[in-house]
Amino acid sequence: MTMVEDRSPRRYEAALKVTGAARYEGEIRTAGMLHAALVTAPLPSARVLGIDTAQARALAGCVDVLTHENALRIPPAAFLTLCQEPVVHFAGQPVALVLAETLETARAAAASVEVRYAPTPAITALEQARATAFAPRTAGLTATDSRRGEPEAALAAAAVSLDRRYTTPTHNHLAIEPQVVLADWDGSELTVHTPSQAVFAHRTGLAKCLGLDVARVRVISSYLGGGFGSKGGAWFPCLALACLAAKQLGQPVRLELTRAQMFTLVGRRQETVQRLQIGAARDGRLAALVHDTVAQTSTYGEYADPVATPTRMMYACPNVATTHRLVRVAAPQPNPVRAPGEGPGSFALESALDELAYELDLDPIELRRRNFADRDQHAGLPWSSNGLLECYRVGAEAFGWARRPRTPGTLSDGRHRLGWGMAAACYPAYRIASQAAVGISKDGRVKVRCGTQDMGSGTYTVLAQLAAEALGVPYASVDVALGDTLLPEGPYSGGSMATASFTPAVEEAARRLRSDLIARAVADPRSPLHGQQPDQVSVADGVMRAGNRSESLADLLARVAPQGLEATAAAAPEAKPAKSFFGFGAVFAEVRVDPELGEVRVARLTGAYATGRILNPLLARSQFVGGLIWGIGMALHEKTVMDANLGRIVNDNLADYLIPVHADMPRFDIHMLTEDEPHLGSGGVKGIGMLGTCGTAAAIANAVFHATGRRIRDLPIRLEQLL
Amino acid sequence: MQQVAYHRAASEGAALALAAAHPGAAFIAGGTDLLQLFKQGPAAPAQLIDISRLPLDRIEPRSDASADAIRIGALARLADVARHPEVRRGWPALAQAIEASASPQVRNLATVGGNLLQRTRCGYFRSPDLPCNKRQPGSGCAARTGENRLHAIFGTSPHCAATHASDLAVALLALDASVHVRRHDAAHTLPIAELFRLPGDTPQSDNALGPGELIVAVEVPVGTESRRSCYLKVRDRASFEFTVVSVAVALQIEGDVIRSARLAAGGVGTVPWRLAASEAALAGARAEPAAFAAAAAHAADGAQPLSQNGFKIELLRRAVRRALELAR
Repeated sequence: MTMVEDRSPRRYEAALKVTGAARYEGEIRTAGMLHAALVTAPLPSARVLGIDTAQARALAGCVDVLTHENALRIPPAAFLTLCQEPVVHFAGQPVALVLAETLETARAAAASVEVRYAPTPAITALEQARATAFAPRTAGLTATDSRRGEPEAALAAAAVSLDRRYTTPTHNHLAIEPQVVLADWDGSELTVHTPSQAVFAHRTGLAKCLGLDVARVRVISSYLGGGFGSKGGAWFPCLALACLAAKQLGQPVRLELTRAQMFTLVGRRQETVQRLQIGAARDGRLAALVHDTVAQTSTYGEYADPVATPTRMMYACPNVATTHRLVRVAAPQPNPVRAPGEGPGSFALESALDELAYELDLDPIELRRRNFADRDQHAGLPWSSNGLLECYRVGAEAFGWARRPRTPGTLSDGRHRLGWGMAAACYPAYRIASQAAVGISKDGRVKVRCGTQDMGSGTYTVLAQLAAEALGVPYASVDVALGDTLLPEGPYSGGSMATASFTPAVEEAARRLRSDLIARAVADPRSPLHGQQPDQVSVADGVMRAGNRSESLADLLARVAPQGLEATAAAAPEAKPAKSFFGFGAVFAEVRVDPELGEVRVARLTGAYATGRILNPLLARSQFVGGLIWGIGMALHEKTVMDANLGRIVNDNLADYLIPVHADMPRFDIHMLTEDEPHLGSGGVKGIGMLGTCGTAAAIANAVFHATGRRIRDLPIRLEQLL
Repeated sequence: MQQVAYHRAASEGAALALAAAHPGAAFIAGGTDLLQLFKQGPAAPAQLIDISRLPLDRIEPRSDASADAIRIGALARLADVARHPEVRRGWPALAQAIEASASPQVRNLATVGGNLLQRTRCGYFRSPDLPCNKRQPGSGCAARTGENRLHAIFGTSPHCAATHASDLAVALLALDASVHVRRHDAAHTLPIAELFRLPGDTPQSDNALGPGELIVAVEVPVGTESRRSCYLKVRDRASFEFTVVSVAVALQIEGDVIRSARLAAGGVGTVPWRLAASEAALAGARAEPAAFAAAAAHAADGAQPLSQNGFKIELLRRAVRRALELAR
C-alpha cells in the first residue's frame, strides 16, 4: 500500500463550465416549447373530489390542464404514476399539470386551478404508528434481516453490554441544479433532455410508460449540477408526466421543479430510529451485536436503506442479529441519498462503539483493532482487500491521535472545549455491467463513447484519462461523449459504482484498439514498423515505437483507415464472486464546543481511505471532501422538518433547511491509500462517492462527547442538547 | 405571476408623493427580503417604488447641544455601516450585529431601513399556503402547536409567536436609537422601541409606520455606553443564519461600578426585546461576574415558552452573562 501522488489530469470540462459554454439540459430550448407547472395538493392524505380548470384555461396563453380525468393512461407501474387517480398520498403531490406558452402563465394558471379535496385520515409522523411497522422485502440491495449465532444469549452473558437508541432525521438531496426536463415529441420519436443519473433506465421506463419501443426514445444528459440520488428513479414520476404531456399535446414540454418541490417530489433520506445492543468481553472483543432499525416509508411505496450493513460485516463478532422495519407515513417516498443506509447506520454503530470504548476505558482505535474482521462476517467471504488497519494508523498519525487525553472535557482553548473523536467507515464496492467504445480518427483525436453520466464529480475526466493511458495518447487528444442513450450502454451513476463499472470496459476497448493499430502497422509494408513483432511495439504520446523505428497513430490511420477505427468492449461483474468487496476508511474529527452556549463547530477533519486504485487524486480528494461535508451536515445541520399536525414540511427552502456553509467547513486532511486490487475485476477501482459521508457524523458526535461528556444520540446535534 | 407597476423615484419628495398616491405600494431598495417575499407569497404589492438611488445613504457623525450621535441614512448599505471607522469606534455593537447578519453578498445590497422592516423568518409565514395569521389574518397560528423551536418566548399572543429577525434592530435598541420617519406632508422621530408592534390580535402589522411613511434615517447617540457595547449571536451554523438567541449590551462603567446598562435580545421576542429586569439588576452594581450572573438570572423573567423553545430561557440567561463579560 502506498500513498497516492498527485499527477492528476485537470478536469476535462472545466473551461466549458467556467466560461458557461457547457450547456446544462435546463438551458436547452426548442421552438414551440410549452412550459409546464404543477398543481400540488396541500393535504397529506385526501381524495380529489373535483378539479375546476376553467379559470386556468381562460388565461391567455394557457394551452391545457392535465388531470387524472384527461391525462393519457400510464400502465400500472412500480412507481407513483401522477395524474392517473384522484388520490393524494402526501402533501405536495401533483394533481394536475398546467401547460402554457410562458412559464409565468403556467404558474399563474396553476395557481388558479381549483381542486376540491375530501381529507382522509393520515399518519403524519413515524412515532404515531410504531406498532404498524412491517418488514420490507429488502433493505436496499441487502436482506431485510440477518442472524448468526445466538445474539440474545450472548448479550445476556456478556461482561459488558449497552442498549442504546439513536435517531437520524429526514434529509433531502437538494442538488443545486433543480430537476428539469425538456420532452420533445416529434410525432414518432421522443427526445428527452434531462439531468439524469441513469439515461438508459430512464429510456426504458419512459418507453414502457408511453407504450413506445425503446428505439424511439432518446435520453440526453450532458451535465448534471449534482444528483446525490435524486435524479434517478426518484425523478421518474415527474419526468414521465412531462413526457406524457408532450406526447398527449404533440408539442415539446419543459418542466422545472421549484426548490420547494425538490423537498417533496424527488425522494428523501428516510428518518430512522435505531436500537443498537452490544455485548462485549472486558478486553473489548465483541460478543454480540443487535441492530434494529425502524424507518419511514410512504403510504404507496416501500423503500428501506441498508442501515445494518456495517453492523453485519465489518467487525469480528460471532453473534449478530439485524432487522429493518418500515412505518407508512403520509409523506414523500424515501429513496437513496448519498451514503444510503451506511451513513445513518454507521452513526449508530460507530457511536455505540465509542460508548463501549469509554465503558471499557479503551482507546476507540484499539477497540476497533481488537475487533478487526479478517473476512466479511456476513457473507463469510474473504475481503478482496481491507485497508482498515492501515487507515487507522495513517489517519491517527496525521491527526495526532496519540496526544489525545482519554478523559472527556480535558482539552480546552479559551472558553471553548475541544474534543477529538473518530469512527470507521465502509461502503460496498459495487459494479454493474458496462459497455464502452474507444475510437481514433485520422487526425489522431481519440473519442471515448460511454452512455454513463457525469454528476459533476469527474466522469468526463476519468473516461478521457483511462483511454489516454490505455491507448498511449496524450490526455488532451481525447474527447468524451457520455450521457446519451445513442451511445454504448454505460452504468447508472449511483451506489458509487459508475467508475468501477466502466473502467474495465474502457480500458479493454482501448487495449483492443491499440492492438488493432499495432497489428495494422506491422502488417503494412509502408509503415516504418512493418515486420516488427506486435509485442515489441509500444505506444506513447500517440506514437508507436519499436527499437529506433516509429510512426504516429495519425500517420498510420491516414493511410490504412482514413475513416477512423473504433473498438468496443463490455465488462460485467462475476455472477458469484469469491471475495467480498468494500472500501474502508477512518475519519477523525476535532470539534470546538462552547460549553455555555452549546454551539458546536468542526475544527478539523482527517480522513484516511483505502479504496483500491485512485484514478485521479485531485478529483478523488474533491469527492472525499464533498462526502465529509455531507457528514458535517448530517451531524450538525440537516433536517427536513415536518409539522405533524398538518403533514407539511415547514423548511422547504435553503434558508431554513441548513447545510454547512463555508464558515462551517474545517481544514480537510485527506489521505488516500492505494491498494493492489487484483480480484475486483474493475481495473482495481472501488467507488468513493459515498465513503466520505460514512462514519463522519459519528466521529463528530464522538468528538462532542470527548469535549463535553455529553452523548448526543439524536441528529442533528443542536445547541439545546448541550446546554 | 402577478403584475407589478414599478416606479423609480427621482427624489425623496417624489418617492413620498408616489407613496401617498398609491396606498399599498411598497418601497424597494436592496430588495433582499422583499423579492423573497414576492416569490414566497407573503408580499404582493401592486406598486413598487424604487428608492435605491436616493441620496439617503450617508453615515454622518454629528453633534448638537444635547448629545453626540451618528445619523445613518436609511439607504446606507449594511456593509458600509459595518466598515465605517466611526461606527466601529463609537458603536461596536452595531458593526458586530451587522457582521453577524446574512452573508457578505446580502450585506452589500441590504439597507438599514429595509433591515429593520424585514419580515419574520417563521416557516409558516414564509410558506405560501400554511396557516399563518401574520400572512393571512384569521388562518390560525400553526406554529403554536407545531414547529416552534425558533419562535418567541416574549411578546407572543394567541395569534402569533414569530420572532423579529433583525440583528441590527437588537443592537439599535440597546444603543437607544431613534428612527426618523417621513411622509409626503409630515415628518417625525420615534424611539426605535416604538417602531415595532407586538402581534396582539393584528399580527399582520409588524410596525408603527403609517401609510406612505418611509424611514429616512436612524440616529444613534454616542457615549461611554455605546463605546462599551457588544453583540453576541448564538446560531445553528457559523454564518449566513438567523439567530437562535442574541444579546446586545451597552454598559456605562465608572471605576468598577456600572452606572447604567442597556440590554436587548433577539430571537426571543416577537419584537426586539429589551431586558429591563437585567438592566435594573446591573445599575449601581460592581462590574464583576457575580453581578453579571445575578442580572442574567433575570433575563428571562416573564418568558412564556412554547412546546419546543423552552431551552431559550436558559440559553438567554447564559448569553446575557457572556455578553456582559465580553462588553466589560
